[in-house]
Amino acid sequence: MVKSGKRSVLITGASGGVGRGIALACGEAGWNVWIAARRAAEGEAVAKEVTDAGGTGHFVSCDVTDESSVADALATVVATDGKLDGAVHNATSDLSATKHAVLPDFTIGEIRHQMAVSMRGSYLLAHLAYPHLKESRGALLLLTSEAGFEGKAKLPVYASVKAAQRGFGRALAREWGPEGIRVNCLAPLATTPALDVAFVNDPSMKARVMGRNPLGRLGDPMQDIGRAARFLLSEDSAYVTGHTLMADGGSCPVT
Amino acid sequence: MARTDVTVIGYDDSEACRIAQEFDARFIPLARDADDDTLAAWRDTTGSGPRSGSVVVALFPKLQDHAPISSVASPDWDSRADTPLLHWMVALGASALLCADEGTIVAVTDCPPPLDAAGLAPEAAVAEAVSALTRSLALSEGKRGVRANTILTPCRLVTDPPIAPAPPLPGFPGTMEEDVLNAVKLILSPEAAHLSGHVLPADRGRSW
Repeated sequence: MVKSGKRSVLITGASGGVGRGIALACGEAGWNVWIAARRAAEGEAVAKEVTDAGGTGHFVSCDVTDESSVADALATVVATDGKLDGAVHNATSDLSATKHAVLPDFTIGEIRHQMAVSMRGSYLLAHLAYPHLKESRGALLLLTSEAGFEGKAKLPVYASVKAAQRGFGRALAREWGPEGIRVNCLAPLATTPALDVAFVNDPSMKARVMGRNPLGRLGDPMQDIGRAARFLLSEDSAYVTGHTLMADGGSCPVT
Repeated sequence: MARTDVTVIGYDDSEACRIAQEFDARFIPLARDADDDTLAAWRDTTGSGPRSGSVVVALFPKLQDHAPISSVASPDWDSRADTPLLHWMVALGASALLCADEGTIVAVTDCPPPLDAAGLAPEAAVAEAVSALTRSLALSEGKRGVRANTILTPCRLVTDPPIAPAPPLPGFPGTMEEDVLNAVKLILSPEAAHLSGHVLPADRGRSW
């Protein structure tokens, strides 16, 4: 396969929400963007939006908890584009926004599901993308959360797995730096279907979230979060690694 | 409900026993090989036991060789990251049930300092996750006066700092006997009665 001149990036969980925003921002720059998700119809629709935005969008089926599925998705990208310049782990468990409870009230199954998508998913993507990112001297980006810094009384499992991604990413930045691979995290606060669900499930949450936001608004998934992610995937951030960028309007007091 | 001063939760073949001994504590073992049903039952049973003024959760997994993530196979990830963190979630959940009002919860976990974390990405992930879990408990249990803090130790993971600069204090990475036990004493002491949600690296100044 002849290598594409355009950057090629794979984004997990990009069939909606923040992942879609990142995909569109990368499309805006003319990149090859792979929507790696389980939902084919939604993923194909986002791929078309990417193409309409000026890039080349593709959908590739991917279950981030399944090693062979992640491997197949990466193989498809490399077979088509000849390279992988960036990998983004954005997928998050459906349960992360739907259950608001203190730690002892989570079942083992609920804990395992969130760990599998966020933490094991990060590992699988890193483990399997490594040879391709080494070849391209590319970038890995993990979507974390302010919850991973400060904890959450009613979202303790989510806070924990998001923190795990930060620790993992920081260690990988040390490990992969000598090979020219950069690893960063991005902590977004954006208008997404998941946040809408969380606001419904915890009626006091919206006031808490907005009350400490100095910019007074939620981020736009494409303009505010996607472009920040694109920066971390691009050569413009060639000297940035091991960092967590807070794209949260200044909400989180702990960084 | 009866109240015991200090309770330590840990694996019964680990350094947690030494912590329990130091504080003359009640020791509640967590089985390393427990399946999911056993873990859930253990949490329920432990959480319904006598309340304790101080609960120290100290889970020290079996040590494994440093390895780049490219060579960490899926079963190795399970044993280095998934299983330890699941155990932390269950044990800290039990600690919230076990801790008396106005009591204290302390998590003691392995953690490579960020400078020394290459080859230890699973352990770095778990340590950060535990810190956030404990902060979550600080928030949820603070309403009844319970404080929750984390102590990080590199003493089992790192023998020498692999890269410059050297840590500011001599003796890195410290010892369980000196650095960890003293840090636990500090956090359990009345002088720390108003500290909660903090993460204390007991690593001779290697990180903060």
